[in-house]
Amino acid sequence: MFDIFFVQQLVNGLSIGLIYALVAIGFTLIFGVLNVVNFAHGEIYMIGSFAGLMAITTFAPPLFVVILIALAAGALAGFGLERLAFRPFRRFRDEASLKSKAIREATLLSSLAVSIIVREIAEKIFGSNMQSIPQDYLLLKPIQIGSLSFADGQFLIFGLSIVMLGGLQWLLKRTRIGLSIRAVANNPMGAAYVGINTERTIIATFVIGSTLGAIAGLIVGLYQGAIFPAMGFVPGVKAFVAMVMGGLSSIGGAVVCALILGMAEAITTSFFAQGWGDLVAYLFLVITLIFFPTGLFGGGRERV
Amino acid sequence: MSTANLLDIKALHVRMGEQSILNGLSLHVPTGGIVTVLGSNGVGKTTLMRAISGVYHSTSGSIEFDGTDITNWPSHRIVAAGLAQAPEGRQIFSSMTIAENLRIGGVGLSPQALAEEEEKQLQRFAILRSRYRQKAGTLSGGEQQMLCIARALMCRPKLLLMDEPSLGLAPKVVRQIFDLITQIREEGHSVLLVEQNARAALRVADYAYVMDGGRIVIEGSSTELSDDARVRAAYLGGHTG
Repeated sequence: MFDIFFVQQLVNGLSIGLIYALVAIGFTLIFGVLNVVNFAHGEIYMIGSFAGLMAITTFAPPLFVVILIALAAGALAGFGLERLAFRPFRRFRDEASLKSKAIREATLLSSLAVSIIVREIAEKIFGSNMQSIPQDYLLLKPIQIGSLSFADGQFLIFGLSIVMLGGLQWLLKRTRIGLSIRAVANNPMGAAYVGINTERTIIATFVIGSTLGAIAGLIVGLYQGAIFPAMGFVPGVKAFVAMVMGGLSSIGGAVVCALILGMAEAITTSFFAQGWGDLVAYLFLVITLIFFPTGLFGGGRERV
Repeated sequence: MSTANLLDIKALHVRMGEQSILNGLSLHVPTGGIVTVLGSNGVGKTTLMRAISGVYHSTSGSIEFDGTDITNWPSHRIVAAGLAQAPEGRQIFSSMTIAENLRIGGVGLSPQALAEEEEKQLQRFAILRSRYRQKAGTLSGGEQQMLCIARALMCRPKLLLMDEPSLGLAPKVVRQIFDLITQIREEGHSVLLVEQNARAALRVADYAYVMDGGRIVIEGSSTELSDDARVRAAYLGGHTG
């Protein structure tokens, strides 16, 4: 079974896994800081894709400009999302409210609401069908290495993901804002005492997480040639599974699990029909929840 | 009303939901002084400390620090103004390294000032230097308390609030912590100390307040309070009359 086709599928799985990882990091960062799942993250992914596509159809800039535009759109959307769905529930600063489950669950619903509204607006404007993407921008030019053939999009995915994962590590370990994000995630009370501006830190977390998500959306849209308003749902679910498998607030865990997930899907589809791939994610989720309730990497509660 | 006071709290009220925790509390810390607040569990000492640091909001009254009204400012502005706290329960960043904990404490400093201040704290607490790259959660209770104090001092505060620094520590470590408080004052920081260990607190402080039911019930110089029959009976385990 270990033929050339199998190797090819593994590489495909790895590139999809990297995309899940980029989306999962956004989830994980926000979960780490606010202890809540951001249900609108899939829509950020979609917004990144559409922002890039609109730039392409209006003034056809070079690809890196398209990526920058998606990046800016993601940052802006993350900022707006936090403002709209999360900040209104942070008015209460006493300890009881900070620990309140009701307030946390309220943002669960408000982010879901924003997600539905954004998706519906996109369908109203663009229709729910796949958008047509100019041929020049599709990342499907074949590149032959030996007897293996890849698409140029895969190299872009590898390159960009590694740059972004590395950049994020640098940001979280070396910069002031990164340290603040980790401090708030580790101990919000302690963060207030040392003079960290928690509000600003939360906004930064949304902006960073959404930037990663939006770029992932753009590249996948161009690589798979599929940009449509509901495109964020499936990767959102996959990234959510990766986050849960990784232990909810461990970035490293989420990345590893996203890669496992992507590879497992690719292997599944090489043996079974295409539709079975999605089943793998749900299977992993169920197995994780039953046998590893704290996630595969959640034992030590190492956060962000 | 003297201008020599670094911290002036006047008629402070704090409510938590239906419950009123602080009921018109007034308290002053002179520049360069060590002031202690004594009282049993549940009289509102930690609430007072949290209100000063902006973690809790007050419903009325005022907090003036260094000539500026800081009532209900957000905590990060209060720290930036020069008022830091080593809080109850230490609240260190357990999954981050000692180095990162210290760096976060000096988050408002320039890189050069940060390096200087870090060197100063590592000189003071040799144990932190030897554990520099370790996760803070691996430290013992006493070491965590030292990290907590070092982290608070990183921002070069004019006033350091300390909430129960000796809680749960071995007697030898407690002595170290109290020696440290005197040393911190000599370096030019004023200190407001909340303590259960009234005897030790009265030994290092110049002035003391006793809290009950969310307000001050007794106040005076440390020597006065050490001799006060009520204080002796309630907090020093002595005999009345």
